[in-house]
Amino acid sequence: MFDGLTHLASAFAVFATFTTLFNVAWATLLGIVIGALPGLTATMGVALLTTLTYKLAPEQAILILISVYVGAIYGGSRSAILLNIPGTPANAATTLDGFPLARAGRAGEAMGLATSASVLGTFIGVLFLAAVAPILAEFALGFGSYEYFWLAIFGIIIAGQMTSFDDAIKGWIAGFLGLLVAMVGQEGIHAEMRFSFGSSDLAGGIGLIPALVGAFGFAEILTVMRNRAAEMATGIVDRVIPKLSTLWTYKRTIARSGVIGTGVGIIPGVGEDIGAWISYAAARRASKERDQFGKGSREGLIAAETGNNAAIPGALIPALTLAIPGSAPAAVLLAAMLIHGIRPGPLIMVEAPEFVFQVVWMVVLATVAMGILGIALTRPLLTILRVPRERLMPIVFVLCVIGPYAITQRLFDVYVMVFFGIVGFILREMKYPMAPLVLGIILGDILDKNLRRALVLSDGDLTPFFTRPISAVLWITTLLIVLFALPPVQRAATRLMRWENVR
Amino acid sequence: MHTRPLARADLITGIVLLVLGLAVLAESYGMPRLEERRINLWTVPGLVPGLLGIVIAVLGGVLALRSLVAGALRTRPKLTGTESAEVRAARARLLACLALCLAYAVLLVGRVPFWLATGIFVLAFVAGFEWRREDDIRQRLGKLAAACALAAAAMLAIPYVFEYLFLVRLP
Repeated sequence: MFDGLTHLASAFAVFATFTTLFNVAWATLLGIVIGALPGLTATMGVALLTTLTYKLAPEQAILILISVYVGAIYGGSRSAILLNIPGTPANAATTLDGFPLARAGRAGEAMGLATSASVLGTFIGVLFLAAVAPILAEFALGFGSYEYFWLAIFGIIIAGQMTSFDDAIKGWIAGFLGLLVAMVGQEGIHAEMRFSFGSSDLAGGIGLIPALVGAFGFAEILTVMRNRAAEMATGIVDRVIPKLSTLWTYKRTIARSGVIGTGVGIIPGVGEDIGAWISYAAARRASKERDQFGKGSREGLIAAETGNNAAIPGALIPALTLAIPGSAPAAVLLAAMLIHGIRPGPLIMVEAPEFVFQVVWMVVLATVAMGILGIALTRPLLTILRVPRERLMPIVFVLCVIGPYAITQRLFDVYVMVFFGIVGFILREMKYPMAPLVLGIILGDILDKNLRRALVLSDGDLTPFFTRPISAVLWITTLLIVLFALPPVQRAATRLMRWENVR
Repeated sequence: MHTRPLARADLITGIVLLVLGLAVLAESYGMPRLEERRINLWTVPGLVPGLLGIVIAVLGGVLALRSLVAGALRTRPKLTGTESAEVRAARARLLACLALCLAYAVLLVGRVPFWLATGIFVLAFVAGFEWRREDDIRQRLGKLAAACALAAAAMLAIPYVFEYLFLVRLP
């Protein structure tokens, strides 16, 4: 307990510098701009900044990336409210009530509420990050190869289930394709080449960042250019700073959405968009004004924006303690930590406990900057949304080319980006979610090494995979998720619930 | 649960995945077993990819079967005239964007200096997408001037910012 507080205090001392404040300010502002512009997502922003900051000191580089991440998830609410287009996938639920509010001439109020909700949501999430991460890291010290194998499978199955568009099989396919992509190149136990077909480039494996920039950057450009241009709901902004009494009225919604968002963030690969949707659905179910949802409900807007931002610290919890990201931007952040020599995982509280608390402060600083900049720069940010997509998208694509090349200086990575962009676009058109694919690329190595190690330990005996306590919890949960995704089981469960209600 | 056009796409995807999964399984089976290095049988490199191949083939098979049940082989309803025009315009924009991006990333980058490749790409992209048949000559010249200005700014600013401020090497 006191150890934690000491680490928290000493971590703050690291960031009490002018350089830190300067980096937080520009990176959060850049994040807000990236998030606000349709076609630039948080994942793309963090990936691009990873390549630009890899020569900086680790704590400053990670601080910049977290600031971009926090800023971008919030920034997406701007285009959701004003253009009816979510700036990032995390803001899709925000459009439902944000855009009707803007059309009713209450754009300023909507943006102010979105800002306050985002700030409060992130703060709720960060409290959980500070409290849960050390406990989870200690718990994960008991994980062996059997548990890591099941954790990888569990991650793919639950991420596939929760991020797919009512069609779990497509989420699972995306996840297993991600695992397959991770098999390309030199394997980690005997250094044998797999699926390299004599190519030295393929032997090096498929990089996470080129794949992410393709799937979340290039694919997004293709989508934006294919769709019709959006028109802004209004150019006039009313009062931006929300009344405290309004926020107090929705205190239960804020608390509930914050907890839900954080919880969803912790689930591997699921992320901010699902955090927002589940928070929105829960708020609607509990609301006295549920008929207003979708027509300009302040409560709906608050729930969505609290939920998505709370998922950010939530997604960092498994990234730091298990080296398994809770969302796509957290996956890039995880890769960035590895580039900077930080080893996330269960040992982090043994090897670098101060880093976990530094991350806590990074999120807090970025959140404060987000609140101040979001309110203060409301009107200038409107100008950015007026930039035509025809002028913005070529610049974004140039950044998509520079990003993957910058780290390895291989043109092959540019081609990987292009490949994943086209494949990602096609898959998205056919309703395959991208988050499980990304998670699969990260989890592939964990799955591969731990399955083989576990089989060596048990000499081919499968019993320990099913009988060890944590393994049992993981495989039973995984099995239940798969079973409940099957239409006959769903129908039987619905019938059973109806029967219970009648009784 | 499904619209018929997506069922058709699912059928094709399912078959592709089935073939991919089986190909992965075959390739994994043929991977070296490293007997000469006397490795543990359970650590052979092809084990996990082979299992993934099986899972992908099974999921692909299920997807294909399900799409058949959903009517993937039935004929599709024709789109109305206005829908078709809209769909055609969207497809044209998509293909133009894809062609420009591929020309830049695959043909230009790495073959001509990066600043020049970027300038050509930005100019072609902006001028191409802002061109409207109904514009008069003055409007066209204005848009072309804006495209040239943006291309020139990108040619100068991007290499400067990345190479000199962020110390990043460009292609």
